[in-house]
Amino acid sequence: MSDVTIPATARAAPRRIDAGVIAVIALLALILLVPLLVGDDFVFHVFITICLYGALATAWNIVGGFAGQLSLGHAIFYGIGAYTAALLVPLGISPWIGMVAGAAVSALVGVGIGLPCFRLRGPFFALATIAFLQVIRLLALHFTGFTGGAVGLMVPLQTGWQWMIFFERWPSLLIAFGLLGLTLAVAAYIRHSRFGYYLVATREREPAAAAAGVNTLRVRLAAVAVSAALTSTVGTFHGMYLTFIEPEAMFSLAFSVQIAMFALIGGIGTVLGPLFGTLLVVPLTELARGWLGASALGLHGFVYGSVLVLIVLFLPDGLAGLFRRRTATDTSDVEASAPAATVPAEAKPARPPLGEPILVAEHLNHRFGGLAVTTDVSLSLRRGEVLGIIGPNGAGKTTLFNQLSGFLAPQSGVVRVRLAEGGLVTPTTPHGFAHAGVGRTFQIVQPFAAMTVLENIMIGAFHRHPGRAEAREKALETAARMGLWPQREVEARSLTIGGLKRLEIARVMAMEPRILLLDEVMAGLNQTDVRRAIRLIEQIRDEGVSVVAIEHVMQAIMALSDRVIVLNSGRVIAEGQPQEVVRDPTVIEAYLGKDFAHAHPA
Amino acid sequence: MDTFVQLVLNGLMLGGLFAIISVGLTLIFGIIRLVNFAHGELLMVGMYLTWIGTTQLGVHPYVLAPAVVLVLFVVGLLIQRFILQPLLEARDAHVQIFATVGLSTALINLALLVFGADLYATPSSGVRDSIAIGPYRILVGQLVMFVCGIAVVAALHLFMERSYLGRAIRATAQHRAAAQLMGVDVKRIYMVTFGIGAACVGLAAVLVAPIYPASPTVGTYFVLTAFVVVVLGGMGSLHGAFIGALIIGLVDSLSGFYIAPDLKEVVIFGLFIGILLLRPTGLFGLGRGSE
Repeated sequence: MSDVTIPATARAAPRRIDAGVIAVIALLALILLVPLLVGDDFVFHVFITICLYGALATAWNIVGGFAGQLSLGHAIFYGIGAYTAALLVPLGISPWIGMVAGAAVSALVGVGIGLPCFRLRGPFFALATIAFLQVIRLLALHFTGFTGGAVGLMVPLQTGWQWMIFFERWPSLLIAFGLLGLTLAVAAYIRHSRFGYYLVATREREPAAAAAGVNTLRVRLAAVAVSAALTSTVGTFHGMYLTFIEPEAMFSLAFSVQIAMFALIGGIGTVLGPLFGTLLVVPLTELARGWLGASALGLHGFVYGSVLVLIVLFLPDGLAGLFRRRTATDTSDVEASAPAATVPAEAKPARPPLGEPILVAEHLNHRFGGLAVTTDVSLSLRRGEVLGIIGPNGAGKTTLFNQLSGFLAPQSGVVRVRLAEGGLVTPTTPHGFAHAGVGRTFQIVQPFAAMTVLENIMIGAFHRHPGRAEAREKALETAARMGLWPQREVEARSLTIGGLKRLEIARVMAMEPRILLLDEVMAGLNQTDVRRAIRLIEQIRDEGVSVVAIEHVMQAIMALSDRVIVLNSGRVIAEGQPQEVVRDPTVIEAYLGKDFAHAHPA
Repeated sequence: MDTFVQLVLNGLMLGGLFAIISVGLTLIFGIIRLVNFAHGELLMVGMYLTWIGTTQLGVHPYVLAPAVVLVLFVVGLLIQRFILQPLLEARDAHVQIFATVGLSTALINLALLVFGADLYATPSSGVRDSIAIGPYRILVGQLVMFVCGIAVVAALHLFMERSYLGRAIRATAQHRAAAQLMGVDVKRIYMVTFGIGAACVGLAAVLVAPIYPASPTVGTYFVLTAFVVVVLGGMGSLHGAFIGALIIGLVDSLSGFYIAPDLKEVVIFGLFIGILLLRPTGLFGLGRGSE
């Protein structure tokens, strides 16, 4: 692999990002300096509001955008932050400590809610978060001894930095700005780390992410914990800023929706989108409220809602989409930097001899209701071997793969994987299998559609290269090797079926698996591509990877397999050398029917 | 014992109210596969219309039913045509949620702008009189709602089973592309379905208005319960919504008395979370809760 050369232009981070960073710093400086220079109370109020909502929307976006879980209950964490600090202040405990305590409680509550709810999708997840919010609001109203109930809580008016309450406006602005900076920094860090890539991959295609070794539940829980903790810190500050809190305001559904709306307007899933959204609508509505006074009751909400509907209709990627579209066209001219060498011609290492069994399945059984899809299937794959699995449609090949990769737990029987260190283990989850060194492709390709080809491959590469730079390097190398170099910056959704199949293999190869499960990677390919794929698999094999391949393309099976297993109706009906197996009458019968088998006796 | 029977009666009557609000919601979900977060705001619009109609024209609120139902039908049609239809092919399934959430927020606050935060009570015109059944009492309006709830569910059921349009709607719900290939105009079907769903909530508004005053957030109050009802009954199931509504009505009435009035909603939402997590298909669902 080391003989693949990467053009230098691809290694260096694009220069443009620097300009973007400067623009962001300038924008943040403006948010801080304008109110300080103007010094007007109303301007202070508007900018503190911008910082607060910007921070809340950015924090929400970690769950709602990166993880794609539409929470409409984020006020839970905001309220917890406010109440925790406000209840501790009378005990003489500084709200700064309350802030940390509230964040910890919120993170725990977030995990507690997320653990059962993350299996729900889209609107159902949103509904569940609303329900949790309602329960917590009603409980806060009910237990008046603790929260003061509907009467609310007055925060004791002790001023100074220690108590987070001030006579002047500027220290509050400073804290709000600091919280905005903190959430932005956390969001940016996440977005550009392995964690962020894993979140987006999980959002786009959960099974493919799991196959790439992502513990999908854990990354989502981590996201909700971080998001909840950040939301909570803002809640603590806002509680101190308002000096009065009550359940209806702290655990408000309308407020939760508003937080989400700012992020949606700005563009979810991007680091800066939520801030953009806040910057667009908050000044607009605050100014209108300033001009119209009390008669503007409801105006801000009307503007938020209408802007959201318009954005959804005409700018589905939010305001941030405007910027991204431009940069996307910008990079296309860099494309010219020619593709690197693909597969080296004469660097064939001698094929290593077959080793001990590395993947063993014993007596697997599985039934879907009355249908036996796997009946007493046993197989073993030796190190360095290529095992072909053939059988007519519906024979249970993909079901077997699902059992060999942790997607389906066999009802009886066991799958063992030999670790690199030599011991045998029985993983139970897809990511467990991935960690044991098993990589798989999907018959129906599962690209992360909104990611670029390179990012798709990086999801695989992160498995062994946690750092972003190394993963990128590995992904570039893999892209070059798989003939995906010219398309590396293209969104995966725009690839042809041949390209998607290659991407599927590229992603799994970037994981550097020791055992590779290939599910019909040649189906639908033309002759040239089939020959190319055969060479590729040979090369993979010669690097010491053991392969199990489901395939209908006989030419490939005959050329590649050391051994072939034939499945029919969930049973192994034949096993042996490829040449023997294809002459086996039972196999011919299974594929072509009794008449054919009798007409052409073997 | 008398108290208990009276509570059960109250619960069933309340269930009738929930049923008539929920029917349109479950219909829209079942056919268009859309969770309409703006459903409660359609109710709110209908209630304001009823209030305006009765106070301006001096008529009995029920007289306004045909007009309000028609207006809401058209509003529903327009929402589907101009807001939701363009999003039908959107690559992110979330955008339809965003659209209805945005619409909901915009409508609540528009009402706040126009009418302020005050409550507007539609003249009750005898609807709030109670009638005695033996030792028990129920409100006339509640009885009307209960009967109308049954009638609407039955009528919708017949319409879906027997009429040509109803069959086309069901076909579209089962497989959009296949229905399209069979010559069904899917966009029109969706518009009509959303229109019918909105019309149902229009009828609900006319019946609810004389009993509960209209306010900008009245829709939120009712629709959250309606979501519970619909998920309990199974999203998309008409008779499920009706039975779900009766169950929630009973839970509301009994837990309000035996646990604590301010905790009855905690019980209801707790039940809701339980159903979502343990049996997302609900009692009579289409098996899509977790998707």
